[in-house]
Amino acid sequence: MKMEEMSLSGLDNSKLEAIAQEIYADLVEDSCLGFCFEVHRAVKCGYFFLDDTDPDSMKDFEIVDQPGLDIFGQVFNQWKSKECVCPNCSRSIAASRFAPHLEKCLGMGRNSSRIANRRIANSNNMNKSESDQEDNDDINDNDWSYGSEKKAKKRKSDKNPNSPRRSKSLKHKNGELSNSDPFKYNNSTGISYETLGPEELRSLLTTQCGVISEHTKKMCTRSLRCPQHTDEQRRTVRIYFLGPSAVFPEVESSLDNDSFDMTDSQALISRLQWDGSSDLSPSDSGSSKTSENQGWGLGTNSSESRKTKKKKSHLSLVGTASGLGSNKKKKPKPPAPPTPSIYDDIN
Amino acid sequence: MRRDVQILRAAINQKLIETGERERLKELLRAKLIECGWKDQLKAHCKEVIKEKGLEHVTVDDLVAEITPKGRALVPDSVKKELLQRIRTFLAQHASL
Repeated sequence: MKMEEMSLSGLDNSKLEAIAQEIYADLVEDSCLGFCFEVHRAVKCGYFFLDDTDPDSMKDFEIVDQPGLDIFGQVFNQWKSKECVCPNCSRSIAASRFAPHLEKCLGMGRNSSRIANRRIANSNNMNKSESDQEDNDDINDNDWSYGSEKKAKKRKSDKNPNSPRRSKSLKHKNGELSNSDPFKYNNSTGISYETLGPEELRSLLTTQCGVISEHTKKMCTRSLRCPQHTDEQRRTVRIYFLGPSAVFPEVESSLDNDSFDMTDSQALISRLQWDGSSDLSPSDSGSSKTSENQGWGLGTNSSESRKTKKKKSHLSLVGTASGLGSNKKKKPKPPAPPTPSIYDDIN
Repeated sequence: MRRDVQILRAAINQKLIETGERERLKELLRAKLIECGWKDQLKAHCKEVIKEKGLEHVTVDDLVAEITPKGRALVPDSVKKELLQRIRTFLAQHASL
């Protein structure tokens, strides 16, 4: 090795260059030989000419290089403006919206069955409450129909929690989504109270917290004892919506609360009786005084009356007054329906 | 002197193989030749040769004789320069070894 060292350092550049050139030549020769072997093997195995196609096919699949086309010759946004005719409803639908429309139109697919189930459930609710009514004249009542129209219009803009597209709003019109349920909840736990009719408000307020949040202006949908809001807030909301006669439906703690102001409830009761028919007063005053000792008895009864979803406001007030005597339990599930019926004739 | 050079060359070759540099250089050359289209040009030439000779009668020697000179000539200058550069670098690195 020593000899090579000495000789290498002693060599001039030309020699080194010559050596480099030789090495390079060797490498190229290796590559050529390798290539020859490949070709020869391909020839002998018969696959050498496989990649040659006939000129006709070559022309067909030539690379396209025109503006507006991709290399296969296809137009870029050909399907954007295409419209398809739905075989079910014979409407012309944009191509990109066709698949979801068909899903709804045919009533197949996950989302449409969910929507249909909800509608059935809610229409059952509506039918049940309506069948409790004695008077069919109520249907012609102006207030009622206006409320339901308002509801139907506003429902479209509310978000459907069942829909997979919860993050987007429902833009397209659906043939089946005309009458959505009245209790459309948003993704956040709140309801827009502007869109609710008076009866729904009442029933909502008997089961839920209902306190209106400052930022979102929506009602809280948590339970009546939700820790985020105080009882005062709940009472305020109820008074705001249902008038001064509305009472706070605090059910659980009703009997425990001895701080209930007796004088206030008496004033309320007397006002109720005065608003209702005067025939009621003797029986009611008696019954109301007995239930005074219950503390929030007033509250429990008003909650029942709300739950029966009375259409006429004064009827419910009367129901409240009369219900005072009948109910001495904590839970508001007594037979409230019979009591109002007695007074229907009076009205 | 020639003897020295020969011995030197042998030593260098040995070094190249030992360090694996020769393999690396070979791979590099192959990749570069494919990239620059040398392989495709040569293949087209091959096809002509084979068509001339007849598919059945092609031998390795024929192919080698026909193709190698063409192949050597077709290597682009850039590839040649780069490879020479690498070899020189190697030599410079291992001059003291």
